[in-house]
Amino acid sequence: MRLELRGITKKFGSLTANDHIDLVVEPGQIHCLLGENGAGKSTLMNVLFGLLQADEGEILIDGEPVRLANSGDAVRRGIGMVHQHFMLVPVFTVAENVVLGFEPTRSLDRLDYARAREDIRSVSREFGLEVDPDATVESLPIGLQQRVEIIKALGHDAQLLILDEPTAVLTPQEADALMGIMRSLAASGKSILFISHKLKEVRHVSDVITVIRAGRVIGSVPPSATESELAAMMVGREVSLVVDKTTAAPREPLLEVRDLVVRDDRGLPVVDGVSLEVRAGEIVALAGVQGNGQTELVEAITGLRHVESGSVLLAGRDITNRSPRDILDAGLGHIPEDRQRDGVVLSMSVADNMVLNTPRRPPFARRGTRNLRAVRDHAESLVESFDVRTSSVDAPLSSLSGGNQQKVIVARELSRPLQALVASQPTRGLDVGSIEYVHREIVRVRDEGHAVLIVSSELDEVMALGDRVAVMFQGRITGVVDPSTSREDVGLLMTGSAPAGIA
Amino acid sequence: MTAVTADAATVRPPLGRTQAIGWFVVVVGLFTVFGMGVGTGSAPHSTLTFTPIDVSQGAPWHLGNLTLPTEWTLVLLGALIVALGAEVLVRRLVKGAMVRVGLMAIVFLVAVLVWASRQPGPSQVPFINVTAILVGSAAITMILIYGSLSGILCERAGVVNIAIEGQFLGGYLVGEMIDSATNNWLLATVGGVVIGGLMGWLLAFLAIRYLSDQIIVGVVIVTMFTGLASYFNSWVLTPYPNLNNGNIATNLAIPGLMKIPIIGPTFFDETGYFYLMMILVGLVSFALFKTRWGLRVRAVGEHPQAAASVGISVERTRYVNVILGGAVAGVGGVAFAAIQGQFTPSITSGFGYIALAAMIFGRWRPSGAVAACTLFGVSAYLAYNLQSYQVPISTEILLMFPYLITIAVSAGLVGRVRPPAADGIPYSRE
Repeated sequence: MRLELRGITKKFGSLTANDHIDLVVEPGQIHCLLGENGAGKSTLMNVLFGLLQADEGEILIDGEPVRLANSGDAVRRGIGMVHQHFMLVPVFTVAENVVLGFEPTRSLDRLDYARAREDIRSVSREFGLEVDPDATVESLPIGLQQRVEIIKALGHDAQLLILDEPTAVLTPQEADALMGIMRSLAASGKSILFISHKLKEVRHVSDVITVIRAGRVIGSVPPSATESELAAMMVGREVSLVVDKTTAAPREPLLEVRDLVVRDDRGLPVVDGVSLEVRAGEIVALAGVQGNGQTELVEAITGLRHVESGSVLLAGRDITNRSPRDILDAGLGHIPEDRQRDGVVLSMSVADNMVLNTPRRPPFARRGTRNLRAVRDHAESLVESFDVRTSSVDAPLSSLSGGNQQKVIVARELSRPLQALVASQPTRGLDVGSIEYVHREIVRVRDEGHAVLIVSSELDEVMALGDRVAVMFQGRITGVVDPSTSREDVGLLMTGSAPAGIA
Repeated sequence: MTAVTADAATVRPPLGRTQAIGWFVVVVGLFTVFGMGVGTGSAPHSTLTFTPIDVSQGAPWHLGNLTLPTEWTLVLLGALIVALGAEVLVRRLVKGAMVRVGLMAIVFLVAVLVWASRQPGPSQVPFINVTAILVGSAAITMILIYGSLSGILCERAGVVNIAIEGQFLGGYLVGEMIDSATNNWLLATVGGVVIGGLMGWLLAFLAIRYLSDQIIVGVVIVTMFTGLASYFNSWVLTPYPNLNNGNIATNLAIPGLMKIPIIGPTFFDETGYFYLMMILVGLVSFALFKTRWGLRVRAVGEHPQAAASVGISVERTRYVNVILGGAVAGVGGVAFAAIQGQFTPSITSGFGYIALAAMIFGRWRPSGAVAACTLFGVSAYLAYNLQSYQVPISTEILLMFPYLITIAVSAGLVGRVRPPAADGIPYSRE
């Protein structure tokens, strides 16, 4: 299918989310739409998928103008979408999810499961996407769930697939598998519109890259463009893609984890005897494929999960199994993995979120009464110094972009007296400009003499930030290496096998 | 500092819960054996009779009275309960625990009856009439099932219908008035469909159009109709008593089948509303789980965004289902009038809420709801009638029974119930 967008404009009140966007996707092409969060990518996709109506402009499919009043129209026209947050009913089977909305039936409106299964098998065979039609979706790993989304689109005979930030939720292995699927789909003549803000994968898989910024098309470039060229187009200025930092000068250990054992919700030991030492003035980066105990390790350190045995020491004090409040007050900063769930209260103001873990402490409260002026002043000075983009400190946090929400958390954690900082996936979902900023702040914390523990599933980030890199696999530390170690060797440690010459 | 160690832990896997349930069942069983069974020597026999009291035409084949040795029967029933509890403990049942607790409740109810009918000698007049209990329970159960089906239709599409009580009341009032005026239950039923559907529409309108909190809207509707019904009662029914003549519907016995002892009088000598209820159970079950319509309804109740992304109208689906659900509850109200007679403002006495509880206990499935309604129906019937059997258990305690079970179930104490994921959550397109 050849898709053409001409002059698409979409306004929300005074905000112009899409400003005369022109775009052409040729048959069999993998076309990437690259842009920062809030650049208007998702709005454009929702217009294209019939979920929103454009104020101006037209959509042409194979040269013919079409009107897409709802997503059903889009699907009938051969457009399929793989949403970032999967549009799958978790308690339904794969077959039920795939046929939903386009169900084959027998007499009396009965569902024809046999045909549904057969349709799925034929799509699976044609495109090499194996999945059990009778499996319940919630029992499948994320990568397979995404495969179900793709099968669903193909099952509705999509000729153009829209993939909205498809790798955001995937492990590196799953992301690689997805790239393979995308290439084979394109080879079979399907057109693919791929939305992303990750420079590496975009260059890796695309035929054409169109960059949009602030609702406008900045330009289209071939994948041979360098990462810094793409980053500059996205952000509108030169950005540094390497973390600028001096050699660490580590001193005494501030955060010590000894023989830690932690069980998960099912009672299995997910952290199985981990010992780790983070010294003042150094960044230890914890690498590993997600789900190998990193999340639970951080939860145990920060008091959010019960420690079965072993101990956690902060500046020599035992904080094992203390309450999160005690641990925070003892001087541990925490940037949580899922910021919207564990880091902020979206419906509360920027100012209140800035004092979320110190609301009772003077000057923010006295004798149980809040001092709103002090809270406001505090927030205003942080917004200023951390460059948080918000209309006011009274605006609800939900009105901020993801990057600015993360800045609020960073500002809050770094404005308290700290010994050590634990940051999980500190740049997940952030755009290039914000990543640069967060990295700089983390290095600054280190240089002020604090201990920093970073957990990240992005290998690039781990290697760029860490002064030492610890690798976790199945609840154990499989090695602590220098960041100059080759990616291949770190990759081997991530799968549990020790490369030659590394203990 | 060392005081805070492992025993301060609260984050624990929920293994203890199954064990608590298992032990609870075992304790109930032991109570049956030792508290009720052993030591009934002074009244060694329990006699049950099966002769129906009222039959519309011709009695079923006669069954003789059954005299049981009280002590041994209770020991046997208690041992059965202990076995159920032991099964939960040994097999560490989580999912099946709920079914075992339900079975326990049934066996325990039987044990209470046996215990209550114990008498010094076999010659005395038996006073526990099993058939009469089942026939009476069937009437209450029928009302509850109408309510549960209404709840299932609404909640499977993602709208909580807590207004079933009000829809019962509306259906009862309208049904009674129409039947009194026309002496035609068919017209009364149509009236119930209309008033229930209208009340469903009101709930849907406020919940879908204005995204109101569905629980609050539901409570408001019940409160409003309770007031309206009182008003009607004072200003219309009292001055015109011939609009509230209290006629009840005649039974339509099914020839042949009604001759079967116990089962016949219970299932095949009923009003048309009972048969309609049975048809509706099958129909809703089939429609929800076998048809395209049902798949779409459930998708809307689980993940409305996903449904919308394939072109299903979430709003329309919810409107249709809530109106249908209201209509079913409205018919339930008419059925109530058809077996109970005269309208009074407090006549529905919380049945709508028990029906909702049964829906939860039945895991939002028609078949489960039927089982739960039966359990609750029998216990409600016994609650109202045990005193006439001179059983020293207070009515209030037994009336609490459905709610106690519901609390245990919805708190996750027994098995795991999972409502439709989007149940009660207003849906709006971005």
